Amino acid sequence: MTAVTNSTLAFYRRASAQMGTLRASSETLQNQISTQERLTRSSDDPVAASQLRMLSRDEKLADIDAANARRTSENLELAGDALGAISEDLIRARELVLWASSDTMGAAERARIGEEVEQLRLRILSSINARDAGGNALFGGETSGNAYTLSGSTISYTGTATAGEIDLGQGQLLSRGVTGPEVMNFTSGGSPTDVFTFLGSLASALQGGVADPVQAARDGLAGIDDAVESLTRAQTIIGTRVAWIEVIEDRQIDQSLTRAARTAETGGVPFAETVAELQQMLTVLEASQASFTRLASLSLFDSIR
Amino acid sequence: MSGNLIMIGKSGAMAARAALDITAQNIANASNANYARRTLSMAELASKGGIASEPGTGLSGVRPDQVLRTNSLFLQNEARRTGSDLARADAELSGLTNAQSAVEQAGIYPALVDFEASLARLASDPLDGALRAAVLEDGRRIAQTFNIADQGLATAVQEQQFNADAGVAQVNVLTGELARTNAAIARATPGSSTMAVLHDQRDALLGEMSGYAGLGTTFDALGRVTVKLGSETLVSGVDSFALARSDNADGSFAFTVGGVATTIGTGSLQGQSQAVQGITAISSDLDAVANLLISKANSAQSTGAALDGTAATPFFSGMGAAGITLALASGDGIATAPAGAGPRSRDISNLQSLRDSLSVNGPAAGQDALLFRVSSGIAARTITRDALSTIADTAGTALAAETGVDLDQEATNLLRYQQQFQASSKVIQAASDIFDTLMGIG
Repeated sequence: MTAVTNSTLAFYRRASAQMGTLRASSETLQNQISTQERLTRSSDDPVAASQLRMLSRDEKLADIDAANARRTSENLELAGDALGAISEDLIRARELVLWASSDTMGAAERARIGEEVEQLRLRILSSINARDAGGNALFGGETSGNAYTLSGSTISYTGTATAGEIDLGQGQLLSRGVTGPEVMNFTSGGSPTDVFTFLGSLASALQGGVADPVQAARDGLAGIDDAVESLTRAQTIIGTRVAWIEVIEDRQIDQSLTRAARTAETGGVPFAETVAELQQMLTVLEASQASFTRLASLSLFDSIR
Repeated sequence: MSGNLIMIGKSGAMAARAALDITAQNIANASNANYARRTLSMAELASKGGIASEPGTGLSGVRPDQVLRTNSLFLQNEARRTGSDLARADAELSGLTNAQSAVEQAGIYPALVDFEASLARLASDPLDGALRAAVLEDGRRIAQTFNIADQGLATAVQEQQFNADAGVAQVNVLTGELARTNAAIARATPGSSTMAVLHDQRDALLGEMSGYAGLGTTFDALGRVTVKLGSETLVSGVDSFALARSDNADGSFAFTVGGVATTIGTGSLQGQSQAVQGITAISSDLDAVANLLISKANSAQSTGAALDGTAATPFFSGMGAAGITLALASGDGIATAPAGAGPRSRDISNLQSLRDSLSVNGPAAGQDALLFRVSSGIAARTITRDALSTIADTAGTALAAETGVDLDQEATNLLRYQQQFQASSKVIQAASDIFDTLMGIG
């Protein structure tokens, strides 16, 4: 018999398949709304999933870059503070030497000034050996010990030649600080020297180490000016770097916002649309369930008595 | 001639009762997917024209002729074929999805990113023991996630092989059953209920079998089936041949029927074969990512100095995702400084070169590419599977519509045969009345 039939089995199969599909779709939407994530596994949308992975990696590394930038900035500020203290000491030394250069000053007083200059020299040593937040020498380059060491009356640089660079992300390499010689070395009267050697010889001169301490003091004034100038230059460099880091940090914040927006766009769930879609799906499901119940209850057996 | 009338009435009542039985049987099997609707064909009983007989004298009623089983070879075949395709796609997809879960949920990618992040943090203070320990622990975590993913993949392969073995065993059981059914079909009377039941059983067995492997079927006049699997005959008449499975080097399966190699085009066995092949490829890709990490980390170590200034030792040991293990015993062994930098150097140029080599075409990028390959493969196969599922559903529904039971039709038949029965009983009543009238004359 090839008559067209309304097979009961086929009717139930069709109905269950259709309602099952609708139900599965609604559940997917419901899941998306409750997790606020469009993708539950990579295969839901491979391209978006790969983008999300890249974004999360960038975000993670950017967090560290931001922390590193903050830390570098803090260290540079500490270095700036130390240089400020050294600068004050040098200005104080200049004041003292100016007094000492006066003929009215007696030899004993000049010797005491010499002693004070020596003390200032030691104070500058402790300032230049300042440590950063991690306990490492601010001006020692890449050494783990002190930047300058005192042996006998000689103070010499024991750090490394360069400060090393840190990667602040996206190819932004920044020198981590300045080394001692960059701050302390200067040229006085055509010959290179450093603050410690200079102040050391000045102090001993004022204490009577040379025949004419007054002249030595007068000569010293120019040298201290040169030292202050070298120091000011280093302070400017540090200030510029801190400003640079601020620019980098601003850009990091901008990029982080862009990343968040892209993440929401790629993997997020548009709330209003999804809820509306779910509502539509539920309406259709309800209607098909209702019509299914009506059709299923339609049996000839009920009518045959 | 009331005797004849009674006999005609009786035959009508009997035929109606037999038809009612068939209708009841149809109603009872309305939800049996393997049941094909039956109808009873009737044949008139009449003596064929003798010379002397008067018109009308040779009639002797009706008899149930044949139990007809509604069948559509095309739709049956179509339902089997699409079912095989769907089973193949399902098996392959489920295997690959397991592999994806194994690789993705092990968290290799986040672990690689965390490792890079720890290295970046270490750059801010290379002498900090806590930061060094963090790098070391993140390295250990990477090694473990690789191991876990590898185990997950191995489990996925085992599961597919186990399922395939179970499938092969089941196919062998079904071929035996089918051969026995063929034997029974040969003995059954054509047009009998028994034959219809046997044909139902044959189709059910073929349907179940085609879920495991795509079959080629031919039927003879009685309805006995010859089943071919690829080029080899699996069932022919009462003979059945054993299917066996072995593993190829690339992970796919090789099949033999009765010891002769054959190919299976579709069905869950083929899907499992493809899945294992896919998982094996993923596994070797994962090994490549692990080896990339090992070589990058170790080559950075080889050009650097440990915290105490001595030459650094390798970061990882072993090969591949299964073998990778953390070799460094302590965070102090991480070579942040280049070789010859001296003890406790804060020089981070070696660390920086490791970070650079990891970030450009490094293991994180490799893992991302691997995950992308796996997931896009799954996404494409999901679409195929959904399409095949629709096709198979349609074929199944079409078959059910063609051969299934329509309750409305059966209700009508019930009424029809009931009326036939009642009318036949009236005929008997009439014969009895006629007889009584004749008797009353005397």
